[in-house]
Amino acid sequence: MNGWIYYATTLLVYAGVDILACLGLSMQFGISGVVNFGFILYQAAGAYVAAVLSLPPSSSNGGFQRYIGGFNLPFPLPWIGAAIIGGLLAIPLGAVVGRKLRPDYAAIAMLVVAIMANTVITNFEPIFNGAAGVALVPQPLSETFDPNTEAYQWAYGIAAVLVAVLIYFVVRRITESPYGRSLRAMRDNGDAAAAVGKHVRSMRTAMLVVGGAIAALSGAVLVGFITLWAPGAWTYPETIVLFAAIIVGGLGNHKGAILGALLVPLAFEEATRFIPAFGPPGLVPAMEWICIGLLILVFLWFRPQGVLPERKRLGANGGKGKTPILQSPEPAAEAS
Amino acid sequence: MSVFIASLGFALVSSAVLAVAGVGFTLQFGVTDVMNLAYGAVLILGAYVTYVLSQHGVNVWLGLVAAGVVGAVISVAINSYILTPFLKRKTSHIGMVIVTLAVGLVIANVLLAFAGPNGVALNADQGATLRWGDIDLTVLQVEIIGLSIVLMIGIALMLTYTRLGKAMRATAANPTLARNCGVRTSRVITLTWLISGGLCGVAGAVFAMNVGAFTPASAGTFLVVVLAASIVGGVGRPYGAMAGALLIGFSTEITAAILAPEYKYVVAFALLFIAMATRPQGLFVRSSA
Repeated sequence: MNGWIYYATTLLVYAGVDILACLGLSMQFGISGVVNFGFILYQAAGAYVAAVLSLPPSSSNGGFQRYIGGFNLPFPLPWIGAAIIGGLLAIPLGAVVGRKLRPDYAAIAMLVVAIMANTVITNFEPIFNGAAGVALVPQPLSETFDPNTEAYQWAYGIAAVLVAVLIYFVVRRITESPYGRSLRAMRDNGDAAAAVGKHVRSMRTAMLVVGGAIAALSGAVLVGFITLWAPGAWTYPETIVLFAAIIVGGLGNHKGAILGALLVPLAFEEATRFIPAFGPPGLVPAMEWICIGLLILVFLWFRPQGVLPERKRLGANGGKGKTPILQSPEPAAEAS
Repeated sequence: MSVFIASLGFALVSSAVLAVAGVGFTLQFGVTDVMNLAYGAVLILGAYVTYVLSQHGVNVWLGLVAAGVVGAVISVAINSYILTPFLKRKTSHIGMVIVTLAVGLVIANVLLAFAGPNGVALNADQGATLRWGDIDLTVLQVEIIGLSIVLMIGIALMLTYTRLGKAMRATAANPTLARNCGVRTSRVITLTWLISGGLCGVAGAVFAMNVGAFTPASAGTFLVVVLAASIVGGVGRPYGAMAGALLIGFSTEITAAILAPEYKYVVAFALLFIAMATRPQGLFVRSSA
C-alpha cells in the first residue's frame, strides 16, 4: 500500500480519536468544572473492552496472549460495549468526586486511580496480557472487507471523523439545553447552584459518566485501527496532553476543544515526527514533553481563555469573561 | 512467618525514606496551600544529584547535602518565579495543580534529556550487615533510619519552639490573620519552600541509597506514594505525614514480602483511595480539615 495514503488515513483516525477524547474532557472540565486527572483511564478501558469483545477466546491463536473474555462479537457491538463499560466505570468514581472534596483533592484521587490501574494491568497478566498488551485485535467488519485495502483505510478514517462529528452534536445538544446551563452554573458557583435546587452531586456523576463513555468510545475507535493496546499507551502524562489541548483550544466550549485536539495531540505530535533524531536516545520525546509542559504554562499565563474563548453569557463567568475554573472567586487577600 | 518478620526491616527503612519526603510535601501544602505535583520530579532530581556526584568519587553523605541544597534552591525558584506570580493572579486551587503538574513534567523531562531513559543505581557502600532476631539491616540502612529520626525530631522542635515554626503554623491556619498580626507571610512561605525543598532533595538522596535502580520516570510512582503517606495522615499535618509514612511503608513492604513485590504500590494506592473516599481530612484527624 502507498505510504502516503497510509499516513493520511492514520492522521484522519487520530484526528477523530483526539477530537472525541477532547470533547469528553471538555464536557467534564471545560463545561462542568469536574476535574478528572484519570481521564486516560477511560480511553484505556474502552480500548481494552473493545479488544476483548472483538477478539476470539484467548485459547485460539495458540494461546500466546492471555486476556479475559474473547467474545468474538461482530462490529458495532464492541464499540457500543466499550462506551457502556466506560460510562459504568465512572459511577464508582462519582462516589469520590461527588463528595464535597476540594477539587484539587478530587483531581489527585483520579490521578491515583489511573496510576494504580496502570500498575495492576501491567503486573497482573491474566486480565489484559500484562505489559505486552493485547494484539491482533480484529478490525471492524474484517470478515466482509479486506482491511489491507486503500478503500478500507479511507473508510475507517472517515468513519472515525464521522463518529467525532456525531458526538459533537450530542454534546452540543446537552450543553445548549437548560441542563447545560445548570452544568455551567455548577462550574461557576457550585454552592449557588445547589442553593437554587440543582442536584450538584448527580450532575457531577452524570458528567463523569458521559465523559467516560465518550473517552471509552475514542479508545474503541483507536484500537480497531491500530489493533493492539498496551499499558505503555496510557500512562498518566497522556492525560496532561489532553488537558493541554483543551486549555490551548479554549475551555468551556466544544469548538475550542476540537481546535485544541487538532492543534496539540495531532499537529504538534505529528510535527515533531519530522524532527530528525539527534542526540542520545529519548532526547526528542523528552523535548516533546517539555514543550507540552511549557505550552500549558504559557497559555495559563498569557491566554487562560484559550484560542477560542467561551462565549460571554449574561451573568455567567462573573460577567467579566474570566475563566472561572482557573481563577478563584475569593478576594486577592486570600491568595498570596 | 520469618518472611514477615524479615520484611519489617525493609519496612522500617522505607518508612524512614517516606517520612522525610512526606513531611516536606505536607509542610509545603499546609503552609502555602499549593498541592505541588512537581515534588516527585524535584525528588528524583535530588536522587540524580547524589548519583552523579558519587560517580565522581564524592562521598554519598556529601551528595545528600548537595541534593538537599539543589532541592531547596529549585523549590524556592519554582515558588518565586512561577507559583507566586500565578497566585497573585488569583489562580484557583485546580489551576495551581495544573501549573505544578506542568512544572513537574518539564523538570522530569529535562532530567530525562540529560540522564537518558535507562535506570541508574547508586551502589552506595552498604557496610556490614547487622542482625537483630530475624531482621537484617545494613549499616547504611540504619544510618538512613537514624537520619530520618533526627530530621523528624528537628522539624517537630522547629515547629513547636522557634519563631519561624510558630509563624509557619500561624500562616497555615489563617494567612490573613497571621499577616495582620505582623507575621511576614511571604517570607515565611519562601522559607517553607526552602526547608521543604531541602527535605525533598534529601529524600531523593536517601531514596537513591535505598532502592536498587531508578529512572526519571520513577518520579510519578514515588510521587503517588508520597501523596499516599501525606494524605492518609491528613494533608498539611506534619505529624500525620510521619504516621502515614509508617503506615504506608509497613503495608507496602509487608505486601511485597507476603504477596509479590509488584503489588506493593497497589496497596499504597488502594489505602490512599480508601482514605480519600472515606476520610479526606486524614485518618488521624478528629475534626474535619
